[in-house]
Amino acid sequence: MIKNFFEINNVTFAIGGKDRVNDVNIKIEQEGDIICILGPSGIGKTTILRTIAGLEKINKGQIILKNKIISSKQIHVEPEKRNIALSFQENSLFPHYTIDKNIHLGLKKKQLSNKNIDSKEIIKILNLQDVLNKYPHQISAGESQRASLARSLISQPDLLLLDEPLSNVDQSFKEDIQVSLKQILKNNKITTIVVTHDSYEAFYLGSKCALILDNEVKQYDDPYNVYHFPNSIQVVNFLNRGILIPAKVTGGDSLENEDLGIIKGKFIKHYPTGSNVQLLLQPEDLEHDDDSNLKLEVVDRKFRGTNFIYTLRTPSNKLIPVAVHTHHWEQHEVNEKFGIKRPIQLEHIVCF
Amino acid sequence: MSKNFNFWFLSSFLISLIVIIPILTVFSSFFENTSNYFDILKKTFLFEYTFNSLILLISVLTFTFLIGTGSAYLVSFYQFPLSNFFKWALILSFAVPPYIYAYSLTAFFENYGTAFTILKNLFGEANYNKHIPKFDGMLGSILSLSFSLFGYVYILTRASFLYQSQNLIDLGKNLGFSNFKSFYSVILPSARPAIVAGLSLVAMETLAEFGAVDFFSINTLTTGIYNSWIAFDDLAFANQLSFFLLLFIFALFLLENLSRKKAKYHFNSRGGFKQKKKLKLSNNKSFFAFLFCFLIFFLSFLFPLGQMLYWTIKFPENLIGLNASTLFFNTLYLVILSSSILIIFSLISNYGNRVSKNKILNILSTLSISGYAIPGVILAIAFITFIVWIDENMIQSIGFLSVKKIFIGSIFGLVIVYFIRFYSLAFNGIKSGYEKINIYVDESAYLLGYSKRKTFMNIHVPFLRNSLLFVSILVSLEIIRELPIALILRPFNFETFATTAYISASEDLLEAAAVPSLFLIVIAAIFIMITSKYILRDTND
Repeated sequence: MIKNFFEINNVTFAIGGKDRVNDVNIKIEQEGDIICILGPSGIGKTTILRTIAGLEKINKGQIILKNKIISSKQIHVEPEKRNIALSFQENSLFPHYTIDKNIHLGLKKKQLSNKNIDSKEIIKILNLQDVLNKYPHQISAGESQRASLARSLISQPDLLLLDEPLSNVDQSFKEDIQVSLKQILKNNKITTIVVTHDSYEAFYLGSKCALILDNEVKQYDDPYNVYHFPNSIQVVNFLNRGILIPAKVTGGDSLENEDLGIIKGKFIKHYPTGSNVQLLLQPEDLEHDDDSNLKLEVVDRKFRGTNFIYTLRTPSNKLIPVAVHTHHWEQHEVNEKFGIKRPIQLEHIVCF
Repeated sequence: MSKNFNFWFLSSFLISLIVIIPILTVFSSFFENTSNYFDILKKTFLFEYTFNSLILLISVLTFTFLIGTGSAYLVSFYQFPLSNFFKWALILSFAVPPYIYAYSLTAFFENYGTAFTILKNLFGEANYNKHIPKFDGMLGSILSLSFSLFGYVYILTRASFLYQSQNLIDLGKNLGFSNFKSFYSVILPSARPAIVAGLSLVAMETLAEFGAVDFFSINTLTTGIYNSWIAFDDLAFANQLSFFLLLFIFALFLLENLSRKKAKYHFNSRGGFKQKKKLKLSNNKSFFAFLFCFLIFFLSFLFPLGQMLYWTIKFPENLIGLNASTLFFNTLYLVILSSSILIIFSLISNYGNRVSKNKILNILSTLSISGYAIPGVILAIAFITFIVWIDENMIQSIGFLSVKKIFIGSIFGLVIVYFIRFYSLAFNGIKSGYEKINIYVDESAYLLGYSKRKTFMNIHVPFLRNSLLFVSILVSLEIIRELPIALILRPFNFETFATTAYISASEDLLEAAAVPSLFLIVIAAIFIMITSKYILRDTND
């Protein structure tokens, strides 16, 4: 019986003799799950994918696919013998073959698989019909990336690895592809690991996200938890969707900040009364209220389509982000005062 | 055994090792004792050899710089009658090796030579000989080498001009520069790496030159090496002289390598590349530009071709007497055998380097591609030294029969030395094709289930077929023209066009040298024409 479909057990990922990410433990329980690896550029995300694909070796730990060790210090199954596909961020199409031939080369591995993906459908979803007879040098970077993705999908691997799969795709087209891609992967039960530095892409595609910071996996959790319950200050800073302000725990469900006063909510972790903490405030946490007597100065306003993100300065010179729906009738200019609804009630309290 | 030491690694390692043996041989024999010839030479000729080599080098560099960059500038930036024709016609000069140019110069200007005949036909009998200038000795060598080698400077400089940003030229105009000032202060400095690369190649060829300087009896380091071996049978001293010459060449090789790196940067920086608008020259200027290019084309190609053709027609008995078909098949045999081996091994070695990613192998291949910088004479002698050493110290000492005959004076030995000599040409040519294949292509192939062998055969070889064709023609061209290695190592009674021409010329039978020379020029010119598109690399120009 398969315990976990895929496992990375205590692996240190290295390239060129230099350790990049240490002691990684990631498990994918079910076939067909999609997980995302998120982290800043140059942290070693691609190294992880290359190692899983068998293009790099490991000296510590083991990688297991379908109950079989594919990488360890002693064992290294060659890339061509793993049924794993990797779609590279860079152009990896065979330059002397047309796009059509390139994509259908993926079919060669099909016999290893019991899945049934229709290549015509993939080509249509990825909008590649018009470039099938062209050569790689005749198409755009985004088209190359989609063709490479199509080739990987058509090969119907046990494990699909996608390295920044949509980084070169036009913004207007990106969301449609994300939706279709997720559908194909789910319908065909293709287990996938997506590497990206785009947190929204990761949150949409992945049922779980691994955040890699400071040479280690800082958090491996579902996207909601990663966003709302980051487990370290580094994760907060990486996601860049909130700030930390000093506060003092005043009870089992409250704390106090010198600028905002009493803040109530449910602690996700217990802190003794009287302890000093750093409270995470995300843009959605505070509510706007023009009639409130808690007024802060507007220092910046960013239009983000569905909402504005106001940056407010507190009397102790902290900058706090607050999201307001764009249909709110009164807009506030820089240097104006901005009211915060009281009492402040948070869904959950995350402190460090 | 670790999986890193696979077939590809071992093959590349072995190939690189074979190629660097002559360099090691020359280096090691530097410390050997030599005969008295060394003392005689040290006291008398060594200074002359070095002085002559230097004079030849400086003059050829100056001359090739002037005609190479001048013609490249004109065809790259201006429109004038036949400018598009000259663009590729100027590279035909490669079809004429320096020694054949030397025969043509002598044939034309010697007493009662072609110039004399022309004057006699035009103005009647008279003693014109004393009025006809004599281009022999050092001057003849300089001219022969310059007109045969300026192509290196022309090709590289022109490619550099081609990729020069129009913005840079517009900037010069915006600053109010005249055409000459733009050329001098904007265009020329930014083409400097390419010019230096071209001149370094010219310098290496000049120092390695044997046929022309030998014909004009100019004693250079290269002829010194040949003579110390042939006339005094002193291999050790030949090797010591070789070591001395190699020092010169390595300095140049280093310079060329450094500037090529810069040139590569230059070539890659295509951002903002705009097709340059060629200026249409006014009547007078147009005529001078035409005249300049025509003179170079005429002197470098038409003149030797015409001279050889004239003599072939004038003395048809030489054509009949020459066993042209045997020479043709001998040359073809050597070309096909050598270039096939070169292509196959360079391809394997390139792929081995690519997949092994091994530092030792990398250093070894960098060293091994220096073979092209080593004169053929040195290579041939180093090869003989090595075989003799192996034979005497290893094979015969353990009771086996001598193997010298297998390697020395045999096609086998000749092909091995050709392999060493032209390995860098083939290796680099294939490498530049390989540079166009992203490493992710290989990795994608592995992930699609292709083994290393299958990736090589199904992905790389088909993609590289144009590069392979180009490289094999380039290598063939070199082998057809090559002289000293063939002279030293060929089997008894095995002649090529090059060796037949040399032997006739050295016996003062220049008329007889004309026929094989003509064949050689024509075959080489055909090869150049086939590859001109690749050599010029500008289909959109």
